[in-house]
Amino acid sequence: MAINGEYPLDPKCYEIVGEIGSGVSAMVYKAKCITNSSIVAIKSIDLDQSRSDLDTIRLETKTMSLLSHPNILRAHCSFSVGRRLWVVMPFMSAGSLQSIISSNFASGLPETCIAIVLKETLKALCYLHDQGHVHRDVKAGNILVGYDGVVKLADFGVSAPVYDINFDSRLKEIAGTPYWMAPEVIHSHNGYGVKADIWSFGITALELAHGRPPLSHLPPSKSLLFKITKRFRFSDYDSHSSNHNKKFSKAFKDMVGLCLHQDPTKRPTADKLLKHVFFKNSHKTCDFLVKNLLVGLPTVEERFKASNKMVRGDETGLFERQRRVSGWNFNFEGFQMDPVYPGAARLSNNNDTNKASCSKDKEEMMFNSALSKRVRFRADLVIPCKRLDLDVFSSSSASPALSISTPTEEQEATPLGGDGSGGVETTKEEQLMEVVDRLTRELEQERRKNKELLAEMEFLKGVLHASP
Amino acid sequence: MKGLFKSKPRTPAEIVRLTRDLLVQFDMGSVRESKREEKMVELSKYIRELKCVLYGNSEAEPVAESCTQLTQEFFKENTLRLLINCLPKLNLEARKDATQIVANLQRQQVQSRLIASDYLERNIDLMDILMTGYENTDMALHYGSMLRECIRHQVVAKYVLESEHLKKFFEFIQLPNFDIAADAAATFKELLTRHKSTVAEFLTKNYDWFFAEYNSKLLESTNYITRRQAVKLLGDMLLDRSNSATMTKYVCSRDNLRILMNLLRESSKTIQIEAFHVFKLFAANQNKPADIANILVANKSKLLRLLGELKTDKEDQQFDADKAQVMQEIASLEPKELA
Repeated sequence: MAINGEYPLDPKCYEIVGEIGSGVSAMVYKAKCITNSSIVAIKSIDLDQSRSDLDTIRLETKTMSLLSHPNILRAHCSFSVGRRLWVVMPFMSAGSLQSIISSNFASGLPETCIAIVLKETLKALCYLHDQGHVHRDVKAGNILVGYDGVVKLADFGVSAPVYDINFDSRLKEIAGTPYWMAPEVIHSHNGYGVKADIWSFGITALELAHGRPPLSHLPPSKSLLFKITKRFRFSDYDSHSSNHNKKFSKAFKDMVGLCLHQDPTKRPTADKLLKHVFFKNSHKTCDFLVKNLLVGLPTVEERFKASNKMVRGDETGLFERQRRVSGWNFNFEGFQMDPVYPGAARLSNNNDTNKASCSKDKEEMMFNSALSKRVRFRADLVIPCKRLDLDVFSSSSASPALSISTPTEEQEATPLGGDGSGGVETTKEEQLMEVVDRLTRELEQERRKNKELLAEMEFLKGVLHASP
Repeated sequence: MKGLFKSKPRTPAEIVRLTRDLLVQFDMGSVRESKREEKMVELSKYIRELKCVLYGNSEAEPVAESCTQLTQEFFKENTLRLLINCLPKLNLEARKDATQIVANLQRQQVQSRLIASDYLERNIDLMDILMTGYENTDMALHYGSMLRECIRHQVVAKYVLESEHLKKFFEFIQLPNFDIAADAAATFKELLTRHKSTVAEFLTKNYDWFFAEYNSKLLESTNYITRRQAVKLLGDMLLDRSNSATMTKYVCSRDNLRILMNLLRESSKTIQIEAFHVFKLFAANQNKPADIANILVANKSKLLRLLGELKTDKEDQQFDADKAQVMQEIASLEPKELA
């Protein structure tokens, strides 16, 4: 591999081989550098569409080019091509852990493999944190594996994804990546500290163990949606019976439990976590990954094509995944996270198996009222995007789109109540949000029906004209 | 073994002196080849220690008294010059540490004086070295960061603004390497916005050549990023109250208007919006020269249509209000007799 080879700052020197990832404002290509014959990945960011301003992007690429660690993906170079910024990076042929899982390990990876990849990831976090950086987006989609089993953490900042090839990447640009977010991040706008990475690291561990992050799997049926909001606890992974048979070591569960402490100060530092028995006992190397993880894996390009089909076939999924969660409770026995839903806490606190002390209840209320800030913030971001998405399907989307945003704006106007009244407001808000969610889904269904009818009509017309 | 002879922790001033001694040796090239690696490790270690004093670490917050001691000792002699000179010889981690140290020192006060500023005033030629960074891919981001920190001081910014260096920025901003070009653009922006009175004076004195270069090299660049940054910065400069004299002059030029109208027609929404913030000044000017007014009149319907369609992604009441005002102004314009 040409490690020290020069990478030219000219698009003509790269030959695009194929597409391996896409997002709202970025594409990722596999390409060949003509001057040194190496294979690279090129992230092409549309600067005019990207949510980030140039200064943010500058700081991100600068940070990236000044980092030097075997477990961190470093860019070779970046340069502008018209309105787009090309970031040239090493090509990690096995792709992200997320795509490896969704292609070959739907119900999660074996624990030995998890230990190896998490250990490598943790080394990267140690380095980053030591440098005073916070990654902010640790998750399986950002952990890449090379042909030789080398593990690298990628994707700094939130401007655009690398290799993140299921539709998470599309969501991410809209609203961040909620499933991995630490409670203190969800509940404040400036809560990112190094300990937030540790939380996301814990969620990532669960993601690797079960095949997906907690609560990512929410089926679109209304009845279930209703059930979820009415219940305090809902074991996200219950629906996958295969997981019941899975056994994880006590060391693993303990390690994850430490990461998922609600109080960030009680979570271990990356350095300390690396000394945990779970990692101390992991001596297997990258070769082990090659033999156990990478065998029989479709290429990144093939996986991208497959996932693209999935995205297009399942547009409603996009909406479902935007359900909000106000917090998490780590369930040690079941080795999973139990989500806490905004507003739901007070409804069924009593039949909760955990001891819900008064102070905890209060804390939850604070959670909820704090969350509602975030929710609105998110709704604000989500809705314009839906409008964009809908435009693709129909040309007359203006008025229905407006009707979506109206309830949200009303919510915006509702002032946040104090300690006591906050809870009530949240419930009301929650209901409103549900209405918005439901309407959005219904609208989407109507649109699709409409489109199908139109297509059918066109088809029939064609038949009519064709017949003599 | 080490533990047995562990001496009491070194004072910040001692660490500065040890660092300086090693820097002197490296600077003069008097380090024997066999000792080189060992001494470099030692130097990197001291530099890391200095950083820890200034920034603290995971266990401790920085102590004001220690920071003061360090700063005083640092600027008592030529440590900064040595550090800048030796930077290319350091490894990546030590370079980053050094850059952070230099950044921090610019903000440290000793007896409520920024002694870094006094030092730089006496050693202003250091800026010449830092400026060369942009021509060296390896050093650009380190020297660039240091430079940007140094121009926090008004005397330093004034020096760079009035030096020949400023002209080089027009080239650096367009370098193909995005990291370096963007860093140069950030410094350029800092130079032209941070110290209001210095900037106002500079723009007044250098109006002709500066805006000729600015228009042709930046606003009419073929590089999207350059145009986008330049039109944004132009808006920032002209809308600043302290630059009102420059603004008044700028909006009376036909050539400037032509360039802005072209930017307003770009396919990039971001550039269009930024261009509008400058264009509105031409339209809002109550003492429009006849030729400016006539251009606007001649393009009245096209402009009104274009502005009518121009919308921000997020709701922006100020933008909408400005736009309405500009459109009204243009709609009401009548041709003027050329003076």
